[in-house]
Amino acid sequence: MADKFCMVVSEGSFDKAMMPLIMGNTAASMGMEVHVFYTFFGLKLLKKGIRPKLPGMWRLFTGMIVKKMKGLNIPAYDEMMKQAKELGVNFYACSTSMSIMGVKESDLIEGTKILGATKFLDLAADSKVTLFIG
Amino acid sequence: MHGNDNTVGVMSVEKDATLDARGLMCPMPIVQLAKKVKELKSGQVLELLADDIGAKEDVPAWCNRTGNQLVGHEEEGKLFRFYIRIK
Repeated sequence: MADKFCMVVSEGSFDKAMMPLIMGNTAASMGMEVHVFYTFFGLKLLKKGIRPKLPGMWRLFTGMIVKKMKGLNIPAYDEMMKQAKELGVNFYACSTSMSIMGVKESDLIEGTKILGATKFLDLAADSKVTLFIG
Repeated sequence: MHGNDNTVGVMSVEKDATLDARGLMCPMPIVQLAKKVKELKSGQVLELLADDIGAKEDVPAWCNRTGNQLVGHEEEGKLFRFYIRIK
């Protein structure tokens, strides 16, 4: 059985958006089974058509960093998300956060599963690696 | 040419396919490598070209983790060449 890798993402800024995808896509490419749980401000990263911004005042410089990354051949957020799907990375939305943030199931990216903390902890308890991105 | 247990001289390696990952940053070379390996048969040798400095450590670690065998590697300036035998 493949090693499991679980991540919790609790912030929705550009850096917190990219990190789990870079880590997750790498782990999936290493043959690991990847589970990413989005909660609190992280939840919005699972919304269709989202374009994450840098945190705080830095948000004004998001375009610059996106352009810079494009110049370095680093895929954009939506491309990395697509890649993650192809690699079989599992994305989960926290059900409680959905209620708090007013996010509906139809707002979420195709293929996202909705979970409570229990099911996620059940996965995490069997994981070789767990990371908190927040 | 580095010498370690699972490494042989690159000159003696016959490749079946090449993946050119030059110009790609971490983790793209590894993501593409994993994809490419699925297209190949067991025992075939893939040549991987990469110029991301991270690849130097990443590719051997990936091979070790996935059970594919790194049969040779060399550096040519900023270019890394890896030869991987598919498990």
